[in-house]
Amino acid sequence: MTAPFLVARNIAKRFGALTALADVDLEIRPGEVLALLGDNGAGKSTFIKVLAGAHPPSDGELLIEGKAVAFASPKDAAASGIATIFQELALSENLSIAENVFLGRELKRSIFGIPFLKRAEMRQRVDSLLQELDAHISDPEAPVGSLSGGQRQAVAICRALNLNARLVIMDEPTAALAVAETRKVLALTRRLAGRGCAVVLISHNISEVFEVADRIVVFRRGRKVAERLAAETNHEEVVSLITGAHPDVRALEKTN
Amino acid sequence: MSAVRQSGTGVFSMNGREWSLLVACLLAVVIFSVASPHYANPGNAVTVLRNSVELLLIGLGMTLLLAMGGIDVSIGIVMGLAAIAIGRILGADGSPFVALVAGPLVGALLGCVTAAVVVLGRVPAIVGTLGLLGVYRTAVFALLGGQWLSGLPSSLTDLLATTVLGIPVPALVIALAYLIVWLALRRTPYGLHLLAIGNSEEKARLSGIPLIKVRFMTFVISGVLTGIAATFYVATYRNVEMSIGSTSALDAIAAVILGGTSILGGRCSLLGTVLGVLLLRILQNGLLLIGVPSLWQPVVTGVLIIGVLGFEAASNRLPLTRFQRARA
Ligand SMILES: Nc1ncnc2c1ncn2[C@@H]1O[C@H](COP(=O)(O)OP(=O)(O)O)[C@@H](O)[C@H]1O
Ligand SMILES: [Mg+2]
Repeated sequence: MTAPFLVARNIAKRFGALTALADVDLEIRPGEVLALLGDNGAGKSTFIKVLAGAHPPSDGELLIEGKAVAFASPKDAAASGIATIFQELALSENLSIAENVFLGRELKRSIFGIPFLKRAEMRQRVDSLLQELDAHISDPEAPVGSLSGGQRQAVAICRALNLNARLVIMDEPTAALAVAETRKVLALTRRLAGRGCAVVLISHNISEVFEVADRIVVFRRGRKVAERLAAETNHEEVVSLITGAHPDVRALEKTN
Repeated sequence: MSAVRQSGTGVFSMNGREWSLLVACLLAVVIFSVASPHYANPGNAVTVLRNSVELLLIGLGMTLLLAMGGIDVSIGIVMGLAAIAIGRILGADGSPFVALVAGPLVGALLGCVTAAVVVLGRVPAIVGTLGLLGVYRTAVFALLGGQWLSGLPSSLTDLLATTVLGIPVPALVIALAYLIVWLALRRTPYGLHLLAIGNSEEKARLSGIPLIKVRFMTFVISGVLTGIAATFYVATYRNVEMSIGSTSALDAIAAVILGGTSILGGRCSLLGTVLGVLLLRILQNGLLLIGVPSLWQPVVTGVLIIGVLGFEAASNRLPLTRFQRARA
């Protein structure tokens, strides 16, 4: 088994009196698609925001390749190789595809000490990324506001790839998509893992999860209640883990 | 594919709103020429352009602020304070070159103060600058001691009321300022970041944009442009009155909104601002010449703002057209 890229230990997150996450331990490995499942409000989004540097954890630690890290901002997390595609896609609808892909990490040349954008180079790079992903977007100059949901996901994935991410986190990437677009995004997810990326995927669609995930982790009420290899579990078990009907979850929730 | 190439990203390319403004300007000129025998002459054209100088400079800064989702309602009084500094230097027979530096310098300093309140202090821009407006207004009273600065020496005027290669200095400075702001907005990371912040501050933060730096810089740039406006103001009028700049913020915001910049941020047009300023000044000048008292000018401006925003709210535009127009 490969060494984990990221290890989360005892992660907790409180918002005032509300405990959104408690005691989460998790290992994320390169080349593996890990699916996070759980009911609404289970803490999935909060957990990945901690990984992404968008929320500082209230407790616990993160290790990347064995070394403890503390992220003050999404920029820090990106510098450590973590790219996150948030549920509320952090794309700027008023900017073009190419601009979005490079936003915050633009290619620039200095003229009299002033940084100017290398627009042609950014456009070319995005063009080839879009082709590599087979994203069916022809014009990197188009404003993101004019794209469909699936195309926006592809842009967000491009952005992650362009950051040379080692870990790509996707929060419900297929939630708003039609069937054909969902297929494409799932294929992209597998392609990312094929390139040696670690992938964390949040989804509500269990069949979809079984289609792409190597490992399945279930969250309930801010806690991790189960971890299974996809090959060693099935649809019914996962459902019972999510709803809390599974004996393991009952036992766990009794002790807490 | 639904992706549509955005129209016009060159310096002079024009979108629909900008063409309409140009037509509105020409139409206003024609109507006023018919309505008043004093209207159509070269002298009056020069007057209108002359009256537009300060507002053009302030408007460029206001465009950046609104595009970022910010605003500065104290900007007119900032011009007033910078003008007082320039006036004091000239009044003490100081070098006109020192006076030349004083405007942008005071503007930059006051821009820092505004940024400290709004950006570092996290006070919403509309409220923060309204508070500063109160403070600055009293400062103007205190500094002027209830009297105008008047009869200032003409040293600064002599320096700026000249031409270079046949082009008046104010026109050159405005062209240069326009070019610099355009480049910053459309060709540097700063401009992208500013538009991203205007679109959504939270998304910009998640994208790893240096929010504080970009917002701080923008208030300082607006301050510098306003300081340059103050320099031209003093050079032209050679006095500073108590009410200086009292309608500048209203006028600037009106012109910028007329020009197609979104009051909600994320979308702006520098060319639109220039045309918006010209239309505003043409209307104000023309109404004066057909006998409408100048007291009515702010009414016209106010009605224009409300009209444009009302029209935009009412016309249910498709998102696509909105974003197509975002860049020109
Ligand atoms: N920024 C926040 N402030 C306060 N409470 C929050 C915040 N973000 C999430 N929560 C709360 O944390 C809990 C977990 O939410 P979330 O992580 O979004 O769940 P999920 O993504 O699994 O549906 C919910 O009760 C939610 O209301
Ligand atoms: Mg969620």
